[in-house]
Amino acid sequence: MSKDFIPGLVKGMATTARQMMSPTHTAEYPDVAPELPARSRGVIALVESNCTSCMLCARECPDWCIHIDSHKEEVPPANEGGRARQRNVLDRFAIDYSLCMYCGICVEVCPFDALFWSPQFEYAETDIRDLLHEKERLGQWVADVPAPPQLDPAAAEAPEVTAANKPTRGGNRPPRPSREPDSRGEAR
Amino acid sequence: MTGLDLAFATTGLITAAAAALAVTTRHVVHSALWLVVTLLGLAGCYLVLGAELVALVQVLVYVGAVVVLVIVALMLTRAPIGPRAEHTTGPAHRVLAACVGAGTGGLVAAVLLPTAARTPVRPGGSEELARQIFSTWVWPFELLSLLLLAALVGAFAVAGLTTSQEGTR
Amino acid sequence: MSLLEISLRSLAALAAVLVLPLVAGQAEHKVMAHMQGRLGPMYAGGFHGWAQLVADGVKFVQKEDITPAAADRSVFRLAPAVALIPYVIAIALLPIHPGLAAAEVPGSVLLVLAVIGVGVLGTLMAGWASANKYALVGGMRSAAQLLAYELPLVLSVASVAMAAGTLSLAGVVEAWTPWWLVWQLPGAIVFLIAATAELQRVPFDAPIADSEVVMGPWTEYTGLRFAFFMLAEYAGMVVMGLLFGILWLGGWQGPFAEQLGWLWTLLKGALIVLLIIWIRVSWPRMREDQLQRLAWTVLVPLALAQLALTAIGVVVTT
Repeated sequence: MSKDFIPGLVKGMATTARQMMSPTHTAEYPDVAPELPARSRGVIALVESNCTSCMLCARECPDWCIHIDSHKEEVPPANEGGRARQRNVLDRFAIDYSLCMYCGICVEVCPFDALFWSPQFEYAETDIRDLLHEKERLGQWVADVPAPPQLDPAAAEAPEVTAANKPTRGGNRPPRPSREPDSRGEAR
Repeated sequence: MTGLDLAFATTGLITAAAAALAVTTRHVVHSALWLVVTLLGLAGCYLVLGAELVALVQVLVYVGAVVVLVIVALMLTRAPIGPRAEHTTGPAHRVLAACVGAGTGGLVAAVLLPTAARTPVRPGGSEELARQIFSTWVWPFELLSLLLLAALVGAFAVAGLTTSQEGTR
Repeated sequence: MSLLEISLRSLAALAAVLVLPLVAGQAEHKVMAHMQGRLGPMYAGGFHGWAQLVADGVKFVQKEDITPAAADRSVFRLAPAVALIPYVIAIALLPIHPGLAAAEVPGSVLLVLAVIGVGVLGTLMAGWASANKYALVGGMRSAAQLLAYELPLVLSVASVAMAAGTLSLAGVVEAWTPWWLVWQLPGAIVFLIAATAELQRVPFDAPIADSEVVMGPWTEYTGLRFAFFMLAEYAGMVVMGLLFGILWLGGWQGPFAEQLGWLWTLLKGALIVLLIIWIRVSWPRMREDQLQRLAWTVLVPLALAQLALTAIGVVVTT
């Protein structure tokens, strides 16, 4: 028996007693909603009006869980004598969550901000076939998408802004105010 | 025949029956468990005779400690569940055992029966028992404990001898 | 004593054995949970899961009662009863209030110890009759442990009985004075340790250590028979707690003992039960050789020294 035996036992009892007096860590989940961190990956929501049916998400998806059907529609010319244009109309956008592995590549790759991560995670089903969700259901989740977190005021500027603000070779152009829409940059 | 007589007869019969089962059963552990019943029955007999202290000590020491020791010893052996052929004995052994048992029984009966007269049972309360143990019977009691101590030391010596021999080997 | 009184007293003892262990078990659930930063049961019964153990009982009743094919059937089936019934008798013997115990017998101190000694046989029977190697190993550990701790337990109780000059629990309480708390302290510590070992609770739970021998002697038990073993464990905790309160803490003695004696007894018992739970949460399990060394080299000498101290005290004061 070492000399630390009795102090060790007393210390153990003191630790448990202190823990009993302090608040518990239990998450009472179904009764109390959990506090999820920002950017939680719960489910992928679709803003239908932003989607151009470009198919980038469906092609990039590693396990081919996105189904897109669309057709082209003739848009009459806006001005007299103009050329009629075509646009894509989305017929079907479905994500099979029994296949989805939540990699988020589709959200990253979407050029038109049509896909977002929603923190909603309570969409379990009793049948695996019911996990194929159509665009109506995907659209409902948009309401849960949190606003993007504020930029850190001390953060470095985005590379595009830095490039635009770089003085020209003559050095006589005044620097533009940062973080404002840049018409040349957008057109590029 | 009073109720007390009846109770004594009942506990006595239970004790005798359990004792018989303890020596005749072929399950080793059942034998130990029947021994428990026997000892409890014996405690019941003491209780009926008014010696509750003896009865309680009987339960405490024999059931609580001695039988537990027996069961530990049985568990250390390869005690099987169910009857085992090795534990049965041949007819010669049985006759011999019966002869020894009958002889011992007869001897005890021959000594005890002539003295058996209708004597009133003395109340064996704890005070009376203590007075008896610490006055009349104190020397036999101490002698007995000395004997047990000697046996214990002997057992230690034997155990120590065997281990030291193994060590030198 | 009329038949009605006898049946009433038996019913009271049975009710105590059915209710008090559940209270102790629920206390263990909640205290253990909070000591580990959890909440414990919260749903059953509505308010903080007070009916969790009742719900557990209902679950146990519904389960299938399995007897292994290779088991020694009669012994296997009898074992839970052998484990539980002695505690019913023991609880009936404990005096709760001045002049109030379910059964009053002259040598109740010895009788309580004797029936507890019988109760441990249930574990051994279960360990052997299950025809399971874990049960057998658990049974062997259990037997070795019970054998070692029975002696200090009895010796420490003998010291109190000697100090009180009686073998009756009620007599011990009447003879109790506050300075026993100092005079009988070593014996009290020995009793507490030995009682924890006798109950096979942490840190002496090697016989039923679930990380080593599954559940020891209880491995093969299901349903109601398993529940009886659990009930016996918690009933044992209650009996040991109350016994400690009665022998060393003065039982019903306290302010307004005439009216509130029962409350004092229960409070003192609850204190010890809480201490046993607290120990369970805080300390690691002891190894088999450590158990034996503690019993034979520390507890037995300590109990003998206490016995000598008590003898000196009794001789000097009388």
